[in-house]
Amino acid sequence: MELTTLLFYFFSLLTIGSAIFMVFSKNIVHAAFALMFTLLGVAALYVLLFADFIAATQILVYVGGILILILFGVMLTTKGFTDNLKTLTTNLRPVSVVMTLVAAGMIYVLLTTTWPVAEIAEPEGTITGLGTLLLKEYILPFQVTGVLLLVAIIGALLMATKVKHQQ
Amino acid sequence: MSEHVLNSIGLFVPEIILVASLCIIIVADLLLKKRTHAGGWILLASLVLCFFAFSAQSGINTSAFFAMIAVDPFSVFFKVILVISGIFIVLFSMQNKELIPYKNRIGEYYMLIAGMMLGMFLMVSSTNLLMMYLAFEMTSICSYVLVGFTKKSIRSAESSIKYIIYGSVSSGIMIYGMSLIYGMSGSLNIFEIGAALSGLESAPIFSMAVLMITAGIGFKIALVPFHFWAPDVYEGAPMAITALLAVTSKIAAVAMLIRLFRVSFTGVDATGMMAIIPEGIRWDMMLAVMAAAAMILGNLAALWQDNIKRMLAYSSIAHAGYIIMGVVVLTDQGISAVMLYAFMYLFMNLGTFYMAMLYANKFSTESIEGYKGIGYRAPFTAVALTIFLVSLTGLPPTAGFIAKLYIFGAAINAGWIWLVLVAGVMTIVSLFYYIRVARNMFLYKPEGETEPVRFDNFTTAIVLLLLTPVLVLGVYFTPVLEFIKHSLVMFGVQ
Repeated sequence: MELTTLLFYFFSLLTIGSAIFMVFSKNIVHAAFALMFTLLGVAALYVLLFADFIAATQILVYVGGILILILFGVMLTTKGFTDNLKTLTTNLRPVSVVMTLVAAGMIYVLLTTTWPVAEIAEPEGTITGLGTLLLKEYILPFQVTGVLLLVAIIGALLMATKVKHQQ
Repeated sequence: MSEHVLNSIGLFVPEIILVASLCIIIVADLLLKKRTHAGGWILLASLVLCFFAFSAQSGINTSAFFAMIAVDPFSVFFKVILVISGIFIVLFSMQNKELIPYKNRIGEYYMLIAGMMLGMFLMVSSTNLLMMYLAFEMTSICSYVLVGFTKKSIRSAESSIKYIIYGSVSSGIMIYGMSLIYGMSGSLNIFEIGAALSGLESAPIFSMAVLMITAGIGFKIALVPFHFWAPDVYEGAPMAITALLAVTSKIAAVAMLIRLFRVSFTGVDATGMMAIIPEGIRWDMMLAVMAAAAMILGNLAALWQDNIKRMLAYSSIAHAGYIIMGVVVLTDQGISAVMLYAFMYLFMNLGTFYMAMLYANKFSTESIEGYKGIGYRAPFTAVALTIFLVSLTGLPPTAGFIAKLYIFGAAINAGWIWLVLVAGVMTIVSLFYYIRVARNMFLYKPEGETEPVRFDNFTTAIVLLLLTPVLVLGVYFTPVLEFIKHSLVMFGVQ
């Protein structure tokens, strides 16, 4: 077996395993740490796909930003509120039946599919190409994402802040 | 290259006007000390400008921004519908009493509506899966916040959190389906996907991908079995936003569904008829079953509702079923019937929501039992509401009758007799709960207060603006049909 294949399976297992741990963990801090390994595993998969920039962004934004934010959020929330914060599972039986069916269906579908596979030459690095694409073919999505983020930030602020009483 | 971008910007003027108004609303909100509906007037002005800009685009059939969006008669038709309903929603918002305690953040409210309108404009014109998803998310994120805007109300907060959770899961499922399509076809451009799929043999993966994409879009349309959020969210949201969700975003999602399925999953067979690609993926049957389920469940559940918003939520689920019938039949006749239905649905449903909002303002009741005797206290609006409800049922001489007639006709011509039977029976069922409102208004004497209620001229004008099309289009609809005939051109589709 090639080293790349071996690495792929290793990182896939890491991603899935820690994702499962995250979902089943009752403690929010443990779940956050498990999430870190999931995100790192995904970043490694990006590296295996030669997507160096996206891998770096994944680590910077998700591991460095969002995850730390979650941990700080837990840490800074008033003590007493988080002590008893446990995840809860309801409707376990119907959900397991439905999800087993969905999983079986998806595995069946993926096994019966022949994917079109392309051989890709090892690229020099993706940043130049990415930059050109963002300002050329994908200029509209790039700009619209800007508007989307503006709207999302203001919307998040609206939802998070208290309604002031009118003068 | 730069010439193409410049040309594309010329075609993108209406959307640019909207983004500019979005920014102006934010700045105006900072500068103006007095908390008024200034943002609403700015948005209203920009929507009227957009309307004229779209009118100037009639007849253009091209694509812009490297095939990201298409500016074609089909998208212009739907954008005109969206703009008209957007204008009404802004007018409703200015009168919505639920928003008064939130006056110091009303600027952001209109900004979010502007963002949502932009998302919906892009939804109806996108020709790229990435752009479609982005537009879809733009619409969704704005609507999540708008639903929870009256956050001191527990119902509003509850409905917002439900909407966020259901919405993000369903759009996650949708993008998974899109990624499968991308994996099989190697392209995000819907025309290239169509070309790639027509050469492929059918496999279970296509059924799964199409089902997943339908789950995402069906969530926005509130199609059964992706409807369960609708009653709670409609009940909790401010009334103007309920109307926005039930009319505007539903029509936008239908347009996106039609474009994607028509371009990517429909080809032409040997006899020149439309056929599904890849062969053997019966998405028409899948949509037909969903439409039938939506009509049955929506109409039967609406029978038991006392809250007018919940009743209208179930009724809008049923109407989603009628609309999707036109997509199922796979003919141009079906698509034009959907366009006609969307046009009529706009006025009659907005009218019903407006009346419900007026009564909630004046009589502070959303309960249909609470409507007893309103016909004696406010005869004009009560008659108008009755006409809107008759139109929603689909009885002549209202616009709703013509809309249903064309949808049923298209389905019969394509041989979907069982679907038309279900729709016909369910239309009769719907008569019971629509007419119950009218019965409560006219056949009971008012309890308690009995003096007549007056509405100001502004209100009367809006009622007349909504009522006239419902009545006129019921008997004289040739201009709309002509407009639709010219609008039935999708970019890249023969």
